[in-house]
Amino acid sequence: MSTLEKQVVPREVTLKSIPWDRIVQWGIVVLTGLLVLFPAWPILYQAFMDKPLYEQDKVATFGNFGDILGSGEFWTSLRTTIIYAIFSTILGVTLGTFLAIILSRTDIPCRKLFTSLVLIPFFVSPLVLAVSWNLIFGPQGYFTIVVRNLGLPTWDLSSLPGMIVVTGMYTAPFTYLYCISSLSLSDSSLEDAARIAGANPFTTLWKITLPLLRPAISFSALFTVVSVIESTSIPLILGLPAGVEVLSTYLYKLGVVGINKDYGSVAVVSILLIILVSGLVMLQRKLVSQERRFVTVGGKAGRPKLIRLGRFRWLTFALVSLYVGIGIILPLIGVIAQSWSPFLSPMVNPLTTLTTQNYNTVLSVPAYQSSIINSLLISTFGAAIGILFMGMIAVIAYRSDFRGRKALSYLAMFPRAFPGMIIGVGFLWAFLLIPGIGGMRNTILALTFAFIVRYLPLGFSNISPAILRISNELDRAGRVAGMNWIGVVRHILLPILGPALLSGYMLLFISFLKEYNVALFLFSRGSEVMGTTMLQLTQQGTAGPVAALATIQLLITVVVVFIASRFLGVKFHE
Amino acid sequence: MSDLIIEGLVKNFGGVHAVDHISLTVKDGTLTSFLGPSGCGKTTTLNSIAGLEPIDEGLIRAGDLVLNDTRRKIALQPEQRELGMVFQSYALWPHMKVYGNLALGLKLKKVPNNEAKKRIKETLELVGLEGMEDRYPFQLSGGQQQRVALARAVVAQPRLLLLDEPLSNLDAKVREQARAWLREIQNRLGITTVYVTHDQAEALAISDMVAVMSKGKLVQYATPHEVYENPATRYVADFIGISSFINGTVVERASNFTRIKIDSGEILTSSRPAPSSTDRVTVTIRSERIRLLPITTEAVANSIPAKIVSGLYLGSKYQYVVKTSTGTIRIETLNAAPGEEVLLGFAPEDLILLAAENAGEEVAVKEEKEAPALT
Repeated sequence: MSTLEKQVVPREVTLKSIPWDRIVQWGIVVLTGLLVLFPAWPILYQAFMDKPLYEQDKVATFGNFGDILGSGEFWTSLRTTIIYAIFSTILGVTLGTFLAIILSRTDIPCRKLFTSLVLIPFFVSPLVLAVSWNLIFGPQGYFTIVVRNLGLPTWDLSSLPGMIVVTGMYTAPFTYLYCISSLSLSDSSLEDAARIAGANPFTTLWKITLPLLRPAISFSALFTVVSVIESTSIPLILGLPAGVEVLSTYLYKLGVVGINKDYGSVAVVSILLIILVSGLVMLQRKLVSQERRFVTVGGKAGRPKLIRLGRFRWLTFALVSLYVGIGIILPLIGVIAQSWSPFLSPMVNPLTTLTTQNYNTVLSVPAYQSSIINSLLISTFGAAIGILFMGMIAVIAYRSDFRGRKALSYLAMFPRAFPGMIIGVGFLWAFLLIPGIGGMRNTILALTFAFIVRYLPLGFSNISPAILRISNELDRAGRVAGMNWIGVVRHILLPILGPALLSGYMLLFISFLKEYNVALFLFSRGSEVMGTTMLQLTQQGTAGPVAALATIQLLITVVVVFIASRFLGVKFHE
Repeated sequence: MSDLIIEGLVKNFGGVHAVDHISLTVKDGTLTSFLGPSGCGKTTTLNSIAGLEPIDEGLIRAGDLVLNDTRRKIALQPEQRELGMVFQSYALWPHMKVYGNLALGLKLKKVPNNEAKKRIKETLELVGLEGMEDRYPFQLSGGQQQRVALARAVVAQPRLLLLDEPLSNLDAKVREQARAWLREIQNRLGITTVYVTHDQAEALAISDMVAVMSKGKLVQYATPHEVYENPATRYVADFIGISSFINGTVVERASNFTRIKIDSGEILTSSRPAPSSTDRVTVTIRSERIRLLPITTEAVANSIPAKIVSGLYLGSKYQYVVKTSTGTIRIETLNAAPGEEVLLGFAPEDLILLAAENAGEEVAVKEEKEAPALT
């Protein structure tokens, strides 16, 4: 009897192996934490120090806060920032909303063409946009001179209203994209129901379509406000010459331009900006959670009926053409024309003075040349490393049993609270403070890390929906079939995520190519990128080489976007 | 209130007739269901009536109001048609309260404020949602949303009520209650109603008339009883209820019966007339009208031998699939089969005779997968 009992005792299975799952997860989490916090702590530290943080005999103080809060210049620039942000946002959001409605719900001629054209500012660096607007509509701009020569009154683009107009034009595509995707998701029977109830097409637009866009509009409004506060290019190029100062240019002046760089003030202004931006970001999160109210029982997503504009059709066409033509196409043609000519002026036919001089300069001066190469290197390799890193973060955050996965997803979104320039400041100071890694400061490796941190939230939130769309039964099937977590990630999740990672890579590539904010503080001799070089050249007043660089950047963007969307099937937006 | 008259309605999608010359009349105050699988054109027909889709040919009239007449180039906009419609998704405007959802149509029709208030109150009482004026759609259950959708459709006293699969988002149980309730409201309002569904039981239960559609064509337009008892084609017999089919040839036509020699050799007698056009017929039998008899040595009239392939016990009934020498037959019966080998017994009045070549064509239609974008 007892021998029989012994036989039915099950064999105890104990598998002891190295927990690679955990090692990989911890590795990514620690790396994320380090990268994200890396630029944050030196700013906090510096804010309470009376001398630059690399000096030895510094003491803790609140004096920096007193200095800033007592500075009239700070308050003036804060006030200007608020006015600038509010009006640019109103303009950008209004433009974007109407464009979205017109291009998705009416029978305007050339609808398809317009839907691609209005997105151009989305792909172009605001720096290039500011430069090109200045070339055409600036005080010495081509178009301005034409109008002046006709004896008509002209405008002053180098002013707060001028900045607002350009910024509105630049930010309109954000709202446009949010509204378009919201419009394409909304159940078209909501509009049909209004027609049946007796509403004509315009009443339907006004009473149903527009109110339904409310969540998308308020969301993009906050997004726009944040990006206006962060933006430096338009204020630097159009505002600074006219003495219009916003917080970002104030910060730039304190930390980059001046001979006596005031580290303490830079830190304090940075912290105030971070507080302002985090508040707005938090508000935005709250809006997203409230948006659920607008979700009803889903119907079949029927194709919405296009509204016949009738006699307004060509008027609408003319208005949209005017926006696209004057706001987007003309400036870009201007910058390309300038790149091939010594001096762009209505007095001279640019075809008679064609020259490759600007390109020769850009391609032969080592500093300019290396900025192109650096930009390409960072975009090509940095974006690849970045997207894989962000993909791993997303996989851990959504597809693992890692305990801190929720915290990880917050950590990944944390850099949103940091304006790009401040990430640069933080990285710079961290390199100054930490002994042994200071040598990295002057390399593009430093810029690559900073760029990845800057775009961590974008990449993470770009990949997350794709992961959430994969049924987690696929993971379970993999586990049951005998894979560990790493196996599931390698053989199931990452292959399925392939297209999403590719889109994410392209998005990062273009973002890295345009980026200059982060580099403003961080770059130095040898690690300049196209954006910083353009900015330097603009401040020296040399329009030709700037235009050549801008044209090269445009060309790279066009080629990449074309290849990505035509041959790789990448979608840059939903 | 008014008759709905449709004459020669044609709607093309990329060269295909999504709706192919449909003509019918919905009598004042009655309810007609458009029934068919997805892609048959029923929703397209409904949208044509609503004016949500431009039509290519035909006339649609609601009482004295011509909605569409392609010959006279009349095509009213949806908002000019004075209709009420319940959408499959209900399409309640999420940014407006229940009151706002009902009020918009009245306001656009310039109904004075206090009159509108009164009507909204009455209509909400009618659908059993009194006091819900200040709720947002997202605060309501699926059933309540459906009631609001109906209230919104009828509050402005439309000429016609159009319903596009209004019950398909409800649970099976709630659904049966809702359809009885819907019918009651429709009766009480006496409003001419068009109802689109792919659920045959729903169509039979709720309608005065059923319009069975296939591939854009109107196959049969009759009362629910007629559609079930005398299906016009094999397609109708197959789509509504469970039927089995045996091919055969008419050997004798008499005034009160028809004799058919089925392809496996047995002679069956039907008390119904055979189609006059042809001698090749398809004998159609409803699954619940077949008796399962034990095998005996003596001959039993109107029966064929069969072998049970599979059986399911469903509580209230048994479902069998049996094999005969002419093919498989499906049976529903209250009693268990007497053995593996059985005799299938038919009453003469239950053998429906349909022209056979017609049947072959319709089988192809049925097998076809859902056509895209037609509903």
